[in-house]
This record gives sequence, structure tokens and C-alpha cells, in this order.
Amino acid sequence: MTTTGVAIEPDSTRAMVLYRGGKLDVTGARGQWWRFVLVVVVTAVILIPIASVVYLSLLPALGSTTSAAITLENYGSVFSQTNLLFWLENSLGVALATVIISVVVAAPAGYVLSRVRNRFVSGYALVLFIVQALPVVSAVIPLFILFAKLNLVDNLAGVTIIFVGSSMSVAIWMLSAYYDSIPITLEEAAWMDGCSVAGGFVRVVLRNSLPGILSTAIFTFLLAWNDYLISVVFLRSDVNYTLPVGLETFFQQNQTNWGLVMAVAVIMMLPPVVLFAVLNKYFSVGGIGGSLAGR
Amino acid sequence: MTTHTVAERLQQARRGVGVAGAGPRPRREPRPGRRRLSARTITLILFAGPSMILLLLINLYPLLYAVMQSLRNGNLLNLGPWVGFSNYLRVLTESSFWQGALFTLVFTITGVFGSWLVGLAFALLLRTRIPAGGLFKVLLLLPWVVPVVVSATSWNWLVATPQSPLPILAHALGLGNVLFLADPVLAKVTVCVFKVWISFPFMMMMMSSALASVDTNVYEAAKVDGATSWQSFRHITMPLVSRSTYVSWILMTIFCVNDFPTIFLLTGGGPVNATSSLVVMAYRTVFQNFQTGPGVAIALLMTLVLVIVSVLLYRQIRKVNIE
Repeated sequence: MTTTGVAIEPDSTRAMVLYRGGKLDVTGARGQWWRFVLVVVVTAVILIPIASVVYLSLLPALGSTTSAAITLENYGSVFSQTNLLFWLENSLGVALATVIISVVVAAPAGYVLSRVRNRFVSGYALVLFIVQALPVVSAVIPLFILFAKLNLVDNLAGVTIIFVGSSMSVAIWMLSAYYDSIPITLEEAAWMDGCSVAGGFVRVVLRNSLPGILSTAIFTFLLAWNDYLISVVFLRSDVNYTLPVGLETFFQQNQTNWGLVMAVAVIMMLPPVVLFAVLNKYFSVGGIGGSLAGR
Repeated sequence: MTTHTVAERLQQARRGVGVAGAGPRPRREPRPGRRRLSARTITLILFAGPSMILLLLINLYPLLYAVMQSLRNGNLLNLGPWVGFSNYLRVLTESSFWQGALFTLVFTITGVFGSWLVGLAFALLLRTRIPAGGLFKVLLLLPWVVPVVVSATSWNWLVATPQSPLPILAHALGLGNVLFLADPVLAKVTVCVFKVWISFPFMMMMMSSALASVDTNVYEAAKVDGATSWQSFRHITMPLVSRSTYVSWILMTIFCVNDFPTIFLLTGGGPVNATSSLVVMAYRTVFQNFQTGPGVAIALLMTLVLVIVSVLLYRQIRKVNIE
């Protein structure tokens, strides 16, 4: 009788079976065409507002001399007429800094939430949940007063700090949900080999968490890129505007010149759309559920 | 020298004790009353520390400060004199506050269930094999991915003035002059539809990942047993995705109640106060009327209700999870 030393992970084999199942085929081939038509039609209707942004940005501006039906001249005009280049630079800088700081701060905190079960961690999970429920509106004024003393008003570092703070709960949930899927036996093996807790976290858990980290990075990028309220309160001078404030201000001044406004809008929505088009298979919010309910 | 079993060494490793050395070191018993923290505990505290400091600074400190502001009659820069609970009394006796509360409720209920229904429908449709399914998944995420400033601008173009495309279409269909953002009732409807449009992709993602974890063999078994598709949806799918459903409802409730830009950028809270949810009302009271005390009081009253409701729901899902 021989026994092999191969350990069988019941969880992982089950997961493989589920994934091998692939797409569900509940109806026959005949049931498919109407579903396809339905999806195409409804998707088209849903995308009308977004498609019209792109379309309007390509129309010749008021008083334009081109005879072409579609032109890129609005894009040229907005770059020369506004501080768009500054806004774009500010938005990119703020969003990337938010992503990096959020992931660096949330990654170890998520580990604690994923691996430790005691009343302190349960309490911390509850605090995270309550913090997520607090409205930004009531926090904005106290933060404004505090940041005025610290010289962080009308300062891109100031809004970055607030974005990091407001993305913290969800970032920690997403990461801890991902860590939950990494078997603890891997770390235990590392500990047996003399690794410290921090070493095991970095060398074992973090190295296997790229999809979770990417997911969190995408979420925080969207939060920082799309925010309006914090930017509009904290950023005061035109060269410090991020794109949302820049676009809104420009829209207020050029209500009727839709071509120009939409050109700015297209430039603003391009980075998140490209990011999603490339990385969408890594993005999942499903984990939040387990992470919220599990502890 | 004692020999230790693997299990014992694992126990020690978990506590972070004596794993690196040649063997287990003899350890002095800690003196009673003075427990020393193990290396592992210290590491874990350091792990969670930075996030806690951030939460204290960015979230909890402002909350405490806001409580003080609501009890005083100040402005944006000074706390002002102490007035006790008179701000709360004033706010609670104003009819506009209750109208705002009612609209917040309507906005939240339509936002949560509207986006859930649409999101679940798409999650179910895209679960079956259809051509270019992956492309549709990405396209349908766009309303959530595109910045709300952009989509509000575009919806403004679509509906705001009588010269906009949708009012012209409505006129051509013989519905008369439909003023989507100038009529109080229609403005409310438009804002709610806008919110559903923005939020359904989030629900679609939540429900898609919940559905992906349902074992498809169960459906085969149900089919063999003669279950109709409604029966297998009602009795197999729904119970299995119920936890994700509750979680998504809680999160969306929080998102809706706290949602400022969706409403503010489309209507500014108007016409008059028709679409002023409590968040928008708080913002306008503070930043447009410069009444910090009452404005913050509105925000805090709303927060109090929201936190109580969501903590109750939070306990509920944890109970469901344990069972």
C-alpha cells in the first residue's frame, strides 16, 4: 500500500469544476436570437447619452468655417481656450497618487481583516462599515477648516488625502475578500520555513493577489477621477482644477456651445473607459459581499 | 530538549514565536498582570495602523467637529456661539426638511430597487451564451464608469430645454410641451431614472458574480425533475444569490442617500426644492445660504437615520450568513 504526499484541496477542485462549467445553457438554440436582439436594442438605448457626447464633440462649432460634417476642431479649440492641459494633468496626478497610497495603506489592513478573528477586528469591521455610511457633505466643512490651517486648501495633495480616506473602507473590503481566497496553508508553510508574519504577507499573500490589487486600484482610480463634491469645495484656482470642476465651470460659461463642452467631456471620460476596456476582466465588486457579511 | 510535533510548531508559528531559530527556545512565563504583546500582534497592529489613522483624521474627526457645529450658530470659518439644540428644532419644524426627507426616501427606494431589477435582468440575460457577450458586458458598464459630471452634462443636453431632443420627440408624439426639469414631478422622475441609469451596472456586476458561483448542475437536476424556468429561478437562483442581494441593497441604500452629484449636477435641487434630497439641501444651506449650523444639522440627522438603518441591516446579513 502506498500513500502519496500530494495534498488534495477540496475547495480548489470544486472551484475548478465550477469554472469548467462555463456559460450556462438553460435554453436551446432557438431561445437565443430574441435574447440577442433584446440585449442589442436595450444596450443601444442605454448608450444614447454617451454616444451623443461623442457625436456632439465631433460636430463643427458655432461660427466654424469647415464644410466637413465631422471635425476634430473642437478638440483643438478647447486645448487653446482653456487650461484643459492643466486639468488633465491634475486629475491624472491626483488619481494615480490616490491609487498608490490607497493600495499601500489598505493592503496590510485588509490582511488583518481577512486573517484575524477577534472582537477588536470585528469592531474595526463595524467602524469601516459606519464610516462608509457617513455623508461627505458633513465632513467637508470641518476638513476645510482643518486643511486651511495646514495649507492644504486649493492644493492637490489635500484632495488626494481626502480621496484616500474616502476610498479606504471599500479598498480594505475588496482586498480582504481577495485574501480570503488564498489558502492560509501557504502562509503556514512560509512560517514553518522561518518567515515572519510580515514576510509571509509580502512574499506569499501579496504576490498572489494581483487581481485583487488591480480591482482595488481600478475602484480607487474611478472614485478619485469621478469625484465632484470634494474637488469643487477644495480647489479654488483655475490652474488647480481637476477635470470635473473644470468641465462644470466651462459648461456654466458655454451652455450653448455644446461641441466645445462635449470635447472636454470626451477627454474626461476617455481614461476610465480605456482602463475598463483593457482591465475589466480583473475588476470584480462581488467580493465586497462576502467581506461585508463574513465577519 | 523536548521534541515538538508539527502541529505544536505550527501553533507557535501562528503566534510568531521561535520559528526562525534552531529549535524552540525556552520561554519565561510572562508575569501575571503584565501581558506582553507577541511579535505577531505588533505586526498586525502596524498593518492596520495607517488605515486607522486615516479614518480618524478624514472621517471621524470631521464627524465630531460637525456635531459641535450643529450645536452652534456659526459660519464657514468660526464655530460661533452655543445655541444648544435650536438648530435641530428649527430644521425639524420646517416643512421643507420633511419634503426633502420624503424625496430622499423616494429617490433611494427607486434607486435601489430600480437598479437592482435592471442589473439582475442583465446579469441573467448575459449569463446565457449570446454572441459578443463579453463586449456587451463592457458596454453596459459604461454608465457607471463614465464620470457623473459627463453624464449629467449629456442628460442636460438630452432633456433640459424645450429645444432638446427628448422634448422635441415628445412634442412630435403629440404629448405637448414636456418640461423634464422644470415640472416638479417630472424633474423628480427624471432624477430617479438618471440614478437608475448610473447605478444598474454596479448591481449587474454584483449579481453576475453571485450568479457565477451558482453550480449549474443544479439547474440540470431541476430540469430533469420537471421544474419550469420560473420555478428554478424562484427556488434555486434567488435563495442562492440572496446574500449578495441584501449586501447590494445595503450598499446602494448608502450610495443613494449620500448621493450629491447625481442630483445636484442635473437639477441643482430645483425646480424650487422639488429634487432637493437631504444631502443637496444640506449643501445648499451651508454653501449657498451660509447657514452652517442648520445645514450640518440636516446632514447629521440624515446620517443618524442612515447609520441606524444600515447597522440593523448589517447585523441581519451577518445572521443570515451564520445560519
